[in-house]
Amino acid sequence: MIKLENVTKVFKGDVVALRDATISIAKGELVFLVGPSGSGKSTFIRLLNREERPEHGRIFVAGQNVGTLSSWKVPYLRRNIGFIFQDFKLLPKKTVGENVAFALEVIGKPRHVIRKQVPAILDLVGLSRKMDRFPYELSGGEQQRVSIARAFVNRPLILLADEPTGNLDPQTSRGITGLLDRINQTGTTVVMATHDRSIVDSMRRRVVELDRGVIVRDQARGVYE
Amino acid sequence: MLSTRYALRETGQNLRRNYQLAVATVVTVGVSLAMFGGFVLFQTAADSATKRWEGGIEFVVWMNAEATPEQDDRIRERLEESSAISRFEYVDQAETFEEFKELFADTPELLESVTAEMLPPSYRVVPADPDADVVEEIGRQFRGQPGVRTVVFAGEAIRGIQDLSDRAGRVLFIGSIVLLGASALLILNTLAIAISNRRQEIEIMRVVGASRWFVRIPFMLEGLIQGVLGALVAVGCNSLLRTYVIDRFSEADALQLLAGFQVDNAALLRTNLVVLGIGVVVSVAGSAAAVTLHLDP
Repeated sequence: MIKLENVTKVFKGDVVALRDATISIAKGELVFLVGPSGSGKSTFIRLLNREERPEHGRIFVAGQNVGTLSSWKVPYLRRNIGFIFQDFKLLPKKTVGENVAFALEVIGKPRHVIRKQVPAILDLVGLSRKMDRFPYELSGGEQQRVSIARAFVNRPLILLADEPTGNLDPQTSRGITGLLDRINQTGTTVVMATHDRSIVDSMRRRVVELDRGVIVRDQARGVYE
Repeated sequence: MLSTRYALRETGQNLRRNYQLAVATVVTVGVSLAMFGGFVLFQTAADSATKRWEGGIEFVVWMNAEATPEQDDRIRERLEESSAISRFEYVDQAETFEEFKELFADTPELLESVTAEMLPPSYRVVPADPDADVVEEIGRQFRGQPGVRTVVFAGEAIRGIQDLSDRAGRVLFIGSIVLLGASALLILNTLAIAISNRRQEIEIMRVVGASRWFVRIPFMLEGLIQGVLGALVAVGCNSLLRTYVIDRFSEADALQLLAGFQVDNAALLRTNLVVLGIGVVVSVAGSAAAVTLHLDP
């Protein structure tokens, strides 16, 4: 599902964010990306949905060479990838339902599909009763659930999460991780960058550790360390 | 596929959020295009008024419609013999009727009541020396001759109006070009603010896979609407200009020298279409620049 071959990403000023990274992630896997701040976790994720392009190497996502993909095809790639932000990025003037519907509306889904899929996904994340609330009326954990609903409403093949529990307390974080685990069990590949030791240790899933842009560990059923 | 409903809703929201700037943009586009339209209309009117005075013609000897061929020949001979006359042109009744038809194309009831036989033929005279006093002197010699109805001079009045029209035209033209540039910049800035206001929405749209045009079109539409509304303001101004300024010029002229200082419906329609076209081009250019500069590729 995801394959990186000798990928190097260098930012201006010769900052190497990722160095000669080679890794494969199969369909349906849940992978934790760990490592200190500045180790290249976010860059790894941003390369997968073509927010960044590598200087060297090849990246394949859902069968497509992401690095050479023409720019007009990028939106179609992104429709196969859900993205969850640390700071949720919900639109404050839209309700919970509208925030989720927005993701379908802007890719041209018909209204009857939107009307059907939005309540279903809000039910999955446990927010069906809060469909008409605004983001400021929700707790941080609930806002992140809305963010997950928005990322998953189009049933993407891959879900990328960049520090999704970074702004949440431990108990809420466990709830969010549990939700991502349930989504993963539907066959969706999940790649999650995190600093949250307890979550990684409790889940015992594949762990990829980055240090200064280099993959220093790739361990099945690993722990944070 | 871009949903029309979505595009219109987003465009409407943008215009409402930013309405003060949108109004300023519409007014600026309107004023600049009205100035451009004014330039075109004044030129059209002046061209129409001075048509019979083209090519150095300084005076016209109008014959009576019922002048005899002998009377006609006598005037022709005098014109041919005069060394003070460089050349002249005879416009017969049929040709005069053609001019009349062009001039009064908008008033068919007048055309119906007039026939070629009712209109006077004329000699349009180019003197060797265009000095006003000399021209006056030569022209006067034909006044009161048998068969001559009147002698009309191009005179300083029409030249003055022509100069004024040229000068006003230049000011309007330069002013309109400067303001059109300002309009495009204003549209660019209005859209830059709209884009900035919606930065987060745009980021989400990109992440979930909205196509580039899906993101762009509501902004382009916003710019286009401002341009078209501005052009409609200018179209209204053009019609008022014709009714309350240009037509008054023509009506106020007792000497008939300015008869024909007018703009017919076809010319007004042409001008309005050009104004609308420029409004569309300027707004699309401003919008395209805004989305190219401010929406990331």
